[in-house]
Amino acid sequence: MRGFMVELLAMLAAGMPLAGPAVAQSMMKTTLTVDLPNDVATLDPQQQWDTDSYTVYRNIFDNLVTRDTSGTIVPQVATSWHYTDNTTLVFDIHKDITFQDGTKLTPADVVFSVKRITNPAFKSAQLSQFDQITTAEVTGPDQVTLRTKTPYPVLLAQLVKLSIVPQAYVERLGDVKFNQQPMGSGPYKLESRQNGVQSVLTANDHYWRGKPTFQTVIFRVVPADATRVADLRAGRADIVRQITPDDADSLKSDNAVKVLAIPTERVGYLFINAQWGPTKDVRVRRAIAMAIDSNSIISALLGGYAKPVNIVLTPASFGYAPDVKAWPYDPKQAEALIKAAGADGAPLPFFTSPAYPQDVIQAIQQMLNQVGLKVEIHQIDQPSYLKARQGTPQDAGSLGFGLWSCACQDADGTIWPLFHSGSIWSKYANPDFDKVVDAARETLEPNARMANYHTAFEILRQDVPSLGLYQADALYAAQRKLDWQPTPNEAFFIMDMKWQ
Amino acid sequence: MVHHIAGRILQAVVTTFGVLTLVFFLMRLSGDPTLLLVPQGASAQQIAELRHELGFDRPLIVQYGVYLEQLAHGDLGESLVQRMPVSSIIAARIPYTLELASGALLVALGIGIPAGIAMAVWRGGTLERALAALVLAGQSMPTFWSGILMILFFGVVLGWLPTSGVEGVASLIMPSVALGALTMAGFARMTRIAVLDELGRDYVAAARARGLSLGAVVARHVARNAAIPVVTVAALEIGNLLAGAVIVETVFAWPGIGQLAIQSIAARDFLVVQGVVLFVSLVFIAMNLLADLIYAVIDPRIRLSA
Repeated sequence: MRGFMVELLAMLAAGMPLAGPAVAQSMMKTTLTVDLPNDVATLDPQQQWDTDSYTVYRNIFDNLVTRDTSGTIVPQVATSWHYTDNTTLVFDIHKDITFQDGTKLTPADVVFSVKRITNPAFKSAQLSQFDQITTAEVTGPDQVTLRTKTPYPVLLAQLVKLSIVPQAYVERLGDVKFNQQPMGSGPYKLESRQNGVQSVLTANDHYWRGKPTFQTVIFRVVPADATRVADLRAGRADIVRQITPDDADSLKSDNAVKVLAIPTERVGYLFINAQWGPTKDVRVRRAIAMAIDSNSIISALLGGYAKPVNIVLTPASFGYAPDVKAWPYDPKQAEALIKAAGADGAPLPFFTSPAYPQDVIQAIQQMLNQVGLKVEIHQIDQPSYLKARQGTPQDAGSLGFGLWSCACQDADGTIWPLFHSGSIWSKYANPDFDKVVDAARETLEPNARMANYHTAFEILRQDVPSLGLYQADALYAAQRKLDWQPTPNEAFFIMDMKWQ
Repeated sequence: MVHHIAGRILQAVVTTFGVLTLVFFLMRLSGDPTLLLVPQGASAQQIAELRHELGFDRPLIVQYGVYLEQLAHGDLGESLVQRMPVSSIIAARIPYTLELASGALLVALGIGIPAGIAMAVWRGGTLERALAALVLAGQSMPTFWSGILMILFFGVVLGWLPTSGVEGVASLIMPSVALGALTMAGFARMTRIAVLDELGRDYVAAARARGLSLGAVVARHVARNAAIPVVTVAALEIGNLLAGAVIVETVFAWPGIGQLAIQSIAARDFLVVQGVVLFVSLVFIAMNLLADLIYAVIDPRIRLSA
């Protein structure tokens, strides 16, 4: 009798769902349900700069080139490429790609896509990624030639993000309607979009790389991360994007789901103002570098879902210099340096916004206060924070926390804007540093670039205008039976997912 | 009467106009959304160019003039984030807000009023104490907590209800309870006080003396009199519910106006925020007018003196 009661209770607890799919059926499901933290901004791939839009439209459109799971740039719409001189890049375009309405993808579509996104009147938020391109021309039946102002070694990395749109279709519909009825050459077509609710994609059975595994993909908008986790555990979602380290820990005990963590190119760093305030003294900046214990921040606050870094760049990016030594964690030395610089008790304004992990910021404050500094946290909203950081040295505060990614996996996209004199982010001016990072962006030669970046990182180590804290992981959670390997550039290609 | 209504409508137009102007300038004074739209590595020049293309470098008064001109033509403008007309975005989200507000109101009225009446009629008993505890719980539990607890218990552990989203009536149950709980507490209290007040009056004693049961007295006489203050509160509460149950909508992934407002404010999507403000102002004004009309229907004293 007791056994029966236990069994009955277990059955009730396992749930007689009145709604929602049961987890056990997921193996046969040809519909994949994805929970995203935000709605798409636009499905026009060229109009916004936003991770959740990109998560969805990446499956509707193909890109000129793409990255494989090891991070190498590989062909997609372009089958091969070569430089004819150091400002001219020639692409051979795949002959057999069709858009979802059956029309052929031609070099003219590639040129149109480049011109559209680089046209200032189009107001693309992504313009800054492609504005080094001066001309784009069809130079053969299956050939496109792109030219840049000066040699631009990051061009291919930027072209990983260029989606190819159908010229005839876009011109016929106009930009406004194209945004509502996007069409590309990718593995999925947009079936419907309900504002604030979900976007539904269906498979393009004539996709040139092969038939997609999933017939339907539903991207649901679920802003609260605890709710995304609940959806996953209840079987309502098959994979969810962006969970917290605490959520990840709580999922460890649930055998039906798994956490997928991948180190990305996103680097968590501490900005230190080298042109104003107590941190103008390099001894104070070095002391700050020695006072912060990133390892305990990573283990205690990030649940281990991050890796320490020695420089302001991650190993996922070209130009990473593994042998540049990080400052050791030595609070006693830090204290001594601060006293020597006469900065004991010096107030350091630390601007921040709700976009950043507040526990990490408070931990940094505590660590710095322990060596004799006086950190004052100022919480403002994100646009005001960005404005302050990008303003004059006296408006930028002494400290700031950032999570930097150029989405290009190249040092040029990180340390040039952060530290080159004259850049809006830079509160640091060192002509030696400027010289090496300028040289690194003017040559296509990888070895020369690596050598320049090595020197650059050694200079940054001496001057500490910022401190690299950690390489951030991207955290996903999925049903255990879903087979997918996330990548450092946070691409979300449904074509790469399948049931085990 | 017509004169009165015309006066109220004029008042409404002036109020709405004032609110829109205030919101317009307040939002723009703290900056524009350009910095939020661009990738981190954008240069000063690229940011300035985009700002110029989007029109944010024009003097505020010029931007205001353009806004008013568009508004006069019934054009609420375009969302910067979604590159779509504001009116179609809001129109797509209003039905969900209406649904949730109705569900919450049903919970609030359906539980609150009977509870309030019961607490007044059976004052001092165990039932009153139990109901008082329920009311207190509804009032004190923060929705971000009660919401996620309900999701975990009814959605994950028991699997009886959907954990999030808008799929059918089952999805409406938990968000309505979470949102309605606080309003329910208010209604229960108001109803209890109003009924108690009426129960102490002479006409009640007279009716009981004539042989009417307590139930009949409450249903036929007390309820109507006690309704007056409750209707006032209800009208205002509906306004609150429609204005956006931000937390409940966020926790339950309910795509209503509240979620839209919060996301647009954070993204500095000015025209969407203004569209929402316009909608909410109109709702409040309409609700106040409705409350006045219902008053006139229920309370003959108001009707006759008009």
